Amino acid sequence: MKHTKMQLSTETMNLGFVRKVEALSGSSVRRCFQCGKCSAGCPMRSFMEHPPNRIVRLLQLGQYERVLAGRSIWYCASCETCTTRCPNKVDLAAIMDALRKCSWDARGPSKESLVQLANRLFLDNIRTYGRQYEMRLAAVFNLRSGKLLKDFMLGPTLLTRGKLKMFHRKNRNIGEIEKIFSRIEELRKKGEAP
Amino acid sequence: MSRIGVFVCHCGENISRTVDVEKVAAEAARLPGVSYACDYKYMCSDPGQSLLKKAVAEHGLDGVVVAACSPRMHEKTFRSAAKSAGLNPFLCEMANIREHCSWVHEDREEATAKASDIVAMMVARVKKDKRLVPITVPVTKRALVIGGGIAGIQAALDIADAGHQVVLVEREPSIGGHMAQLSETFPTLDCSQCIMTPRMVDAANHPNITLHTYSEIESVDGYIGNFQITVRKKARSVIEERCTGCGICSAKCPQKKIPNSFDKNLGLRPAIYVPFPQAVPNTPVIDRANCTYFRSGKCGVCQKVCGPGAIDYGQEDSLIVEPVGAIVVATGFELYSISEKPKGSPIKGYGEFGHGTIPDVIDGLTFERLASASGPTGGKILRPSDGKEPKQVVFVQCVGSRAREKGISYCSKICCMYTAKHTMLYRHKVHDGQAYVFFMDARTPGKNYDEFWRRAVEEEEAVYIRGMVSRLYQKGDKVVVMGSDIAVGLQVEIEADLVVLATAVQPRTGADTLAQKLGISYDRYNFYSEAHAKLKPVECATAGIYLAGACQGPKDIPDTVSQASAAAAKVMTLFAKSELEREPIVAKVNERTCVACLYCRKVCPYGAVEEKELRDRQGNLIRVVAYVNPGVCGGCGTCQATCPSKSVELDGYTDEQIMAMIESL
Repeated sequence: MKHTKMQLSTETMNLGFVRKVEALSGSSVRRCFQCGKCSAGCPMRSFMEHPPNRIVRLLQLGQYERVLAGRSIWYCASCETCTTRCPNKVDLAAIMDALRKCSWDARGPSKESLVQLANRLFLDNIRTYGRQYEMRLAAVFNLRSGKLLKDFMLGPTLLTRGKLKMFHRKNRNIGEIEKIFSRIEELRKKGEAP
Repeated sequence: MSRIGVFVCHCGENISRTVDVEKVAAEAARLPGVSYACDYKYMCSDPGQSLLKKAVAEHGLDGVVVAACSPRMHEKTFRSAAKSAGLNPFLCEMANIREHCSWVHEDREEATAKASDIVAMMVARVKKDKRLVPITVPVTKRALVIGGGIAGIQAALDIADAGHQVVLVEREPSIGGHMAQLSETFPTLDCSQCIMTPRMVDAANHPNITLHTYSEIESVDGYIGNFQITVRKKARSVIEERCTGCGICSAKCPQKKIPNSFDKNLGLRPAIYVPFPQAVPNTPVIDRANCTYFRSGKCGVCQKVCGPGAIDYGQEDSLIVEPVGAIVVATGFELYSISEKPKGSPIKGYGEFGHGTIPDVIDGLTFERLASASGPTGGKILRPSDGKEPKQVVFVQCVGSRAREKGISYCSKICCMYTAKHTMLYRHKVHDGQAYVFFMDARTPGKNYDEFWRRAVEEEEAVYIRGMVSRLYQKGDKVVVMGSDIAVGLQVEIEADLVVLATAVQPRTGADTLAQKLGISYDRYNFYSEAHAKLKPVECATAGIYLAGACQGPKDIPDTVSQASAAAAKVMTLFAKSELEREPIVAKVNERTCVACLYCRKVCPYGAVEEKELRDRQGNLIRVVAYVNPGVCGGCGTCQATCPSKSVELDGYTDEQIMAMIESL
């Protein structure tokens, strides 16, 4: 798949997928003319098999299988350097977000990355406490990812500097936050939210 | 004793970087006969010229040597400065220490020594310079325009509107050229016919324009202001004055299946035809090679049906002599064919693209005819092989162009834009079709050009793929395109219904032959050369001949029209004077020593040498000598070099002067 040649035709180019990404991200994909400025400034480039400009190029050709395969979209740190510097107003960070969503919808959690797990636990925490509870996030992430001792030695330092709290404090307006989450769930059921 | 002034120029750093200009000036001051020498940063600038004028007046100079650039560059500048200081302009000479010295040497000491030598030689020469008076020749205020495309028509209309007579010569039966073949034009997508045909009619109806269609230039004699042009009017077999353009001959012609080259052979035409319905003049021509009457002597239908009796099978080519004062060359271009061997290439065409044998691989001009409302398909995009509507069309850029291996290293300039236009036209006509373009760079410098290309990509959804096509081959009824996308780094394969190649723009076949007749220079591709790439972009090195359009280099319509108007303006400048001043650098024959061997006549490239009879007072012939017509002499000096009795001398370059230059070393 990775190195096989592309057969281009109206059938093999999934332009419906491109339109979906454009709708989700609110950014044009066709506008990109492959100057490469996004890849030039991307701090995560060295971890990606497809640099950001190539992701857009593959998208332009409707090659969604190739875009979603691999870890490039998951290694994007959403730093938005690409979006800020793009001469053509292509919002690449938003496109990456849209691609991650499409990947989740199509294939569930990625085998390539634990980003989705982290994201989900992060949101679960917000829903439960109304704010972030880092200790729990770290503990559950390490348990669920099977990397029990990951970053364990950072704990004491973070604790002594007050960056990590042993006990959580709930947000006073937790009810309001719950409303946001349930409304999004409702909209999703109706198909009105991505 | 002479009083010569030497003026050494730094040319910014161009000369002073390698030549010690102060030293050159100091050494020049020590030369015998030199009474003033100086150096200056920009001698050609206003303060530099003032320096020269002041020195001439203050030191009473009777000769000037400007050590600077080539005389081609600034001789005129300094001679007029010398003139305004009261010196005969031909007593001002240039010592070329830039092109002949500083630019071509690296060693400072040696270059300085050489510059001093060059200056010393020119000082020796200027001492023996004569006070010459410019020759005046009359100007025939009538222009010839060769080529009736948009360039020729524009130039002809501009000159004619200025009130001068114009002779417009076109090789084809109709004027209009390539622009008449186009469907729509970038970047505005206005219909080519709609903007072209009115101009064609204007040219034909203009009282100051004489139109010779189906005609070619037979020979060119003379010089600026006084050319004699012989035009060969090819036999049309139709008497133009009688023909009403009713078209009944074409309708009744039994021979109807001849491919029409105007439609790139997609459509058919009869043997007696006008190339296209909007042709100007609307007078048909008999294609004698395909006409039954001319092949077998039987038929004659057209003559029978022609009401005004305009058909004349016995018509022969006629030669017309036109005296003109200026010539605008606007012979245009043609497209490279992938089955042909380009000039200077070891390789014949594009074997990898099927050598032109795949019917559904066409060139850009053919696509124009398919897309044109007046084309053979009435504007429907139908492929040549089976007349089906193609759903996948692949466009390939830079075919022939930018391909040194194929013999053409230049960029054809118009293809990026017309291909973007083609993808749009295709999208407008075939809504469910997909256009793909293989390209290396999109070169869109021009007003609203890049926006136009981006529109093709972003709004009309043409898929542009950066990377070239390696091979095209027929597979069933498809043409397989093997390419690559270098942005992704993968091979790409497309099964196309139609492939359109943006083939290179080349000068017209026979452009070199015409150049030889006109005596103008051309490059290795046969594009005509302008006198100076920046400062004389429409003039030829040959005086009185100007260039317009794609015969000088690939050009789009806006550039062509601009250049044509510029050429017309140059012609008008020439016609603004009733007499023309020419440099008096001409050969003169010493009648006392001439033995009339007339070798000079044999070698003269300008045909300036005539026989002259010397007679006594009673009118008895003494002897015959050679005579150089100063109006025709180009001042090349070939006669001087050839003359066995040393009887011819070129003013400003006499043997005495050349010897003095050599002896000064």
